[in-house]
Amino acid sequence: MSVAVKLLITFLVFAGVAIAIFIVIAVSTKLPPRDQREVQRRGYAIRGWWFMGLFLFVIAAFAASIPFYPYMSATAALAPARKVPVIAEQYAFIMPSHLPVNTPIIFEVTSRDVNHDFGIYNPQGHLMAQVQAMPDYTNYLRVVFQEPGQYSARCLEYCGIGHAIMAKTFTVGGK
Amino acid sequence: MIITSDKTGRRVMNLYMGTGLALTALMMLAGLMLRVSQAGWMPMSPGQFYAVLTLHGAGLIVALMMCGMGGLWFLMRRETSLSASTAVAAFSLVVAGVAGVLISTLFGGFAGLYTFLAPLPFHGSWPNWSTGVFLISMALITLGWMAWCLQMLGAVLRAYGGLRGALAWDFVWHRQAFDASGRTAPPPQAFPALMAGFDGMLAGMSAMLLGVALIVRWMDTRVLINPLWAKNLTYFFAHTYANLIIYMLVALIYVGMPYATGRKYHTSAVLAVGWWCSMVLTLTNYFHHLYMDFVQPGPFQYLGELSSYLSALPVTAVTIFGALMLVWRSGMKWTLGAIFMYTGLIGWVVGGIGAEIDATVPFNVHLHNTLWVPAHFHTYLVGGCLLFAIGWVFLCVESRSQRRTGSLMRWLISLLTFGGMSVFLMGFYCAGAYGVPRRYSIEPSPGPDLAKIATIGATIMMIGFVVALLEGVRLRFGYPDQTAGGQSVQEARA
Repeated sequence: MSVAVKLLITFLVFAGVAIAIFIVIAVSTKLPPRDQREVQRRGYAIRGWWFMGLFLFVIAAFAASIPFYPYMSATAALAPARKVPVIAEQYAFIMPSHLPVNTPIIFEVTSRDVNHDFGIYNPQGHLMAQVQAMPDYTNYLRVVFQEPGQYSARCLEYCGIGHAIMAKTFTVGGK
Repeated sequence: MIITSDKTGRRVMNLYMGTGLALTALMMLAGLMLRVSQAGWMPMSPGQFYAVLTLHGAGLIVALMMCGMGGLWFLMRRETSLSASTAVAAFSLVVAGVAGVLISTLFGGFAGLYTFLAPLPFHGSWPNWSTGVFLISMALITLGWMAWCLQMLGAVLRAYGGLRGALAWDFVWHRQAFDASGRTAPPPQAFPALMAGFDGMLAGMSAMLLGVALIVRWMDTRVLINPLWAKNLTYFFAHTYANLIIYMLVALIYVGMPYATGRKYHTSAVLAVGWWCSMVLTLTNYFHHLYMDFVQPGPFQYLGELSSYLSALPVTAVTIFGALMLVWRSGMKWTLGAIFMYTGLIGWVVGGIGAEIDATVPFNVHLHNTLWVPAHFHTYLVGGCLLFAIGWVFLCVESRSQRRTGSLMRWLISLLTFGGMSVFLMGFYCAGAYGVPRRYSIEPSPGPDLAKIATIGATIMMIGFVVALLEGVRLRFGYPDQTAGGQSVQEARA
């Protein structure tokens, strides 16, 4: 199961809980009405807990996500790696067709014309890494392919009417 | 009371919201054509597909923005001094811009999308004139928007004693002295008005800055524009516009939900502080659009994620929690207006969950520019904003009509609209989770199969909206003759 499918399940769980709360509150209107001041007195107490809980949750989530940021640290940039230039242009990627397995690779991604996006799909078709390809700039994307097979790169930033055909397949290992 | 005897105010609101909703309907049809094409049932050429996609994106944003502008303007005219002629002038500029967008896309084939990310507008296969018409049209829309913002900001600042008063600063920090002075805090809807005016002006200025640069580039090809600078400005104004649509329509919740529940909604210190936070966070959230631009300065990436997370706090703990407290054990009658508004809150929350997941940098690697992105923003634009606007229209009509909607009709409309919408949106979410890129005229598998399911869902949803429209017309013909002039049925009976 890909990361994105796990995210979909997470989303459905959170959304389901939220919808269930809304349904319960909607159904409560069928019960005998309560005085607004009484509802507010209890509601404000719950809101305080909700605010604190959510605040702590988002701060914890933020802190937990930082180690997984895809940006290269200075240490990683200096570590031995194979440099692979990738030039994007309407509507093709200019890059090698074969890459090594289990080898750190730093893609040096740029564009000759407009903004593109260099999205790498693994042999199972899951989107495993991506970076923007911009004119006048070079973005560095570090990837280690741990599985041999046929990968593909797709453009993920709209770049003109040929956007959907802008793709390149490449093999990892096995050469 | 939800409707006033201010006929001019009602006419201006009707002008904005009527045009906005009609344009929304047209753009939804355009969106349906796109999904039909992606499903492979009636394929368009790539040139046609992307021109329609450009029109759909720009048109829908502007259409819902017009709904928010009209609704909020009407509410604030009840509280402040707002000139109808200025509002109509702003409306005219926006409509002129929309006409230009229609011409440039449908006749000129401009397909640079509504984000017109530089330098794409100058590297397309469409004629050069259509680029110019599109850019000038977007500038006209922005000018109209800024005129509206300036009017709203001026009215709010004048009415509540400058920025300090409009922010309810003394109400929050010096409450005893504030109460002793006999002053009252601005009503809840004044906060979205202040935010729309203030943040909207900043967004409008950045849009104009970029727009002028692009128009100059269009005239003189020697002009160079830094793509990272352009990208930051693009997403700053586009993200802020999209967020302000929600916040403007939230003002309708502050008036509509108390009316529907028969309860009161007052300004509190928590509400004021929540809006201060939203005013700031909305301006810094846009960095999450540039996570995959690794050349963007690192601190902005951290700020983008933190800011996106924190913006959930005022939304859920203030507005949504407050609305839920209004409904809880209120004995509210579930008219169509109440149903649409309440369901709009659900769409806002669910879309927000999808947005927060996407705003997490490590997750964004797997979701950025996949169909997850249109999934979440369609959830809160169609499932949230549009429902707020429709709900408001129904509340207004229901408050004056002698007719009532039967239980069977309410169920039918709810099932068609929300059932179809759920299927339509899940097509996007599932495709996004499977890595299907957004903005592909021909999608890789499983995109086409999911597009077929989504098309069926969207069709059912739109049938639901048509049935709701017919029911709205039926209610409209139930106005009592003797209550002309804005009196509600309740007032007339009293």
